[in-house]
Formats: sequence, structure tokens, C-alpha cells
Amino acid sequence: MLGGCFLKLAESAKVEERGALTEGQVTIKSFQEGIREGVIRGYLCSKCGAKYVDILAFCPVCHSSDLKETDLRGEGKVLTYTIQFVAPEQFMNEVPYAWVIVELDEGPKITGWIPFVRSPSDLPIGQRVRLRKSYLPGVVFEKI
Amino acid sequence: MRRVYVLGAGITKYGKSPFSARELALEASRKAILSAQLSPSEIQAGFVANAFSLSEKQGHLGPIVMSGLGIPDAPASTIESACASGASAVREAWINIGAGIYDCMLVVGVEKVSQLDTITATTYFSFGSDYIFEGACGASFPGLYGALARAHMTKYGTTELQLANVAVKNHENALLNPNAHLHKKISVEDVLHSPVVASPLKLFDSCPFSDGAAAAVLCSEDYLRLKGRTLSEKILIRGSGRAGGTGALHQRKDLTTLGAAVLAGREAFNRAGLSYKDIDFAEVHDCFTIAELVAEEDLGFFPRGDAAKMTEQGVTKIGGDLPINPSGGLKAKGHPVGATGVGQVVEIFEQLNGIAGERQVKDSRIGLTHNVGATGGSCGVHIFELT
Repeated sequence: MLGGCFLKLAESAKVEERGALTEGQVTIKSFQEGIREGVIRGYLCSKCGAKYVDILAFCPVCHSSDLKETDLRGEGKVLTYTIQFVAPEQFMNEVPYAWVIVELDEGPKITGWIPFVRSPSDLPIGQRVRLRKSYLPGVVFEKI
Repeated sequence: MRRVYVLGAGITKYGKSPFSARELALEASRKAILSAQLSPSEIQAGFVANAFSLSEKQGHLGPIVMSGLGIPDAPASTIESACASGASAVREAWINIGAGIYDCMLVVGVEKVSQLDTITATTYFSFGSDYIFEGACGASFPGLYGALARAHMTKYGTTELQLANVAVKNHENALLNPNAHLHKKISVEDVLHSPVVASPLKLFDSCPFSDGAAAAVLCSEDYLRLKGRTLSEKILIRGSGRAGGTGALHQRKDLTTLGAAVLAGREAFNRAGLSYKDIDFAEVHDCFTIAELVAEEDLGFFPRGDAAKMTEQGVTKIGGDLPINPSGGLKAKGHPVGATGVGQVVEIFEQLNGIAGERQVKDSRIGLTHNVGATGGSCGVHIFELT
């Protein structure tokens, strides 16, 4: 991996200037601001069309560096989940709640939590959910 | 690659300790160096496996430990790979010795977390997830494995009762291990009725927060010859494998397997020229009961979805066809994060040398260790053989 990199430098004899974080790229800050506004900011790969909710430098599918920000609708289905009765500091006053892995309708996966879920009977696998605009910590989902 | 041996091993008792990480690391290191029948001056370099030493306001553990061993000139640095720090450190030492850079190295894993209350410790452990997308969205460590357990139950019909069987077995084994954190016989009912932590996982499905340290002295075959040591009845690292996976559990295609464990296992078996059938017993990463079943399936010991049945039938007990976690595993021996992977090597060392006491696995020559970082962002697998 590095070998190729050194070869390239030797040819052009300069440090690559492309690749800096730029406008229009998802950052942790813009992702978290998006959540407060009810939007999930993800990546769209300009080359292969893959969509991801993540912080990326290259596309995990085709390894293109041409990644654009794309807004996702925030609706999807629950793939799996747990009900937390003991939680990290930020969530200690919210228990019990469900921490869910959601597959969004556009394809990418994301996690979040659903308040007031006590029992597996409250949340079947495959349950449709949507992003809830909220000032609670993290990504909050609600059942549709 | 030159052949690399485990010449000595040492371990502290796991559990709540009054000692700091540096003291625990020194105890395990001293035991390992004495077990190898060496002077510390023979140690040329070292790796310290550790994840949370900053919680004790101490970074840069390498020189602190080497200084305490009386060899401050020997270089040592910390390797952090969450719960797989231990296997990563063993792997790096294996590479360094195999490549001929050093002939004799110390690997010591250590963790000290009992000064933290449960909520703070839970928070620290959640830092090992992809924090922005998992921990900060409400996932605790048991929560991540709880989600994995539910996915496994949904796909294969695994039951909470079957998960409980794993805990009961590993507690039984730990009763025979004087260094284990938990010495408590439990029943399936105890597990099923213990408080829910992150459903379907309950308190007794979960490993404890442990303090402790484990160490091993690794050396080259050339070194053994140079020192006039015999090459027979020694513990050879026959295969090593290490692989990565997405830092976040939810980014995986399949939520019922840890891809890094599959890949690391494959590499270790390939390098060893062995198959899963050649393994006499294994120490696997059972941070939660579900993790032991997934490990057995990822390593190919049992077909997907069959591990729970095999546990039920006693196949994985000491005395069964394939003993898993004779030490008690992370579940009951304990899980001092940085120490865990090195502690697995110590168990292999004791078992293969026939000095494991009441928990001895009879007639074993080949043992395997499987050590996972977080939910499989990293994994190291090693195969050891008594020559």
C-alpha cells in the first residue's frame, strides 16, 4: 500500500495537495447538526453510487476519493437491537431504552436509540422506524 | 520467518486489586522471567498491551515497566487494540523475533479499572466502539453484543437458555483456576434470573470488569540453541493470524459473525499448516456468552448455528471432545482488557506443559487462542504446539 504511495511521490516529487477536508464533505459536526435538524447526512460515492453514514476518506466499495454529501430521509427498518438497562453516562437517566441498528431505505446502516422500549414485544425485528428531530443525545428513532 | 517459542509465562490473580497497573505488570513480568529461568538482562525489548492506563493518570507504560524490571535501556511501547491488545502485542513480538530484529522479548498485558465506578467503567468501555455512531447513540459494550446476540437468535434460533449454558460451564472451569476472578458455581436458573444488562444479555452472561496482568517471554529458536536449551518439550508458536473489521458493528454485512475472527483464524491455520480438527483445546474471547458461540463458529470448530447445541451436549467441557476456555474464559477467569490476550497464552503454556492442575486438559499438544478487539474491529488468533 505504502509502496505505491512512495512511487507516486518519486514521480511527481511533491506532497499531494488533494484530499484535504473540504466544504460539502460530511464531518462529525455537520452530521450531528443534521441530526438536530432531522436530517441524516451521509456520503454518496460519485463513482460507484454507494451510500454510507460514516466518516470516510475513500469509498469502502470502489476506493474512489470522490465522495459527496447526501441527505438521507431517515426512514428504515430495525435489523437488530438490544434493550439497555445499564447505560453509559449520557444515557443513564434514559433506561430502559432500545439501542437499534437500522437499515435506511436508501441502503446505508446507522444506529440510534428509541426511548421507552422495555420488552422485546415492543419492538419486533423489521419494525419500520424514522428519525425523530430531538435535542436528546445521539440519534433518536421512533416507530412508524 | 524464524521459529518463535514461548519460553516462560506469568500471571497475577485476576479480580479487584489494590495494586496499580505498573505493579501488576511488574508482578506478571517477574513471574514470566523467572519461569523462563532468565535474568531480566536477557530481555532485549518489550511490548505492553494496555487500553485504559490513562484512567490512572499514567501513560507511557513501556519504560515504566522496563525500569521496574531493572532494564531501562530496553525499548518498550504500548500496543492498544482494545480487548485484543494482548494478541496484537504477542503478534508484534512474534514478527520482531521472527524477522530477526530481536532474539528475546517480553510481552506483558495489564489493566487496572477497579478504581472506576460501574457507570464510568461502562463509559470507558464504550469508547472502544465507533463512539460517534455507537457509544454516543446509546450503545454500551454489553449493548453491542446484545444486538449481536439478538441477530444470532433471530437467524439460528439460539435461545437465552443456550447462552446460559456457556456461563455455567465457564464458571465451573474457573472454580478450578486459582487465578480466576469469579469463584462461584452458578446454575442455568441463576443466569436466567440475573438482572438484565442489555437484553438478551444478563449480568451472568457478561464478563466482569477485572484488574490483572499476564506476561510471556518469547524467544527465537537460535536463542534456545545459543543458550544450550533443548528444543523438545517447548511451546512453539506454530501459527499467527491477525485481521481487521469495521470499527462499527453496524457496518458489517452479517451481524451474526465477526469477519476479523474468520480471517485471523484462516491466516493462523494456514501459517500453521493445520486445520480446526487438529486443535486439542482453545481459549476464546467470551466477553459475553454469545461471543463464545460466535467464536466457535467463526473458527470453523462447528457449523454456523450449531455451537449452542455442542455446548449443551458437553463437547466444550474439560473432558469433552474440544474443551473451550478451560481457564474459565473472560466470563469467569475475568477480563482485564489489555491482559486478556496474553493471559490466554499463559493458560496455553500451563496446559501444554501439563501444569494446569485440576483443570488440566488431558493429552493436549496443540492449543489455540482467539482474542477480539471490541466487536471485531480487530482479532488475533495464535496456534501453539508442544514440540
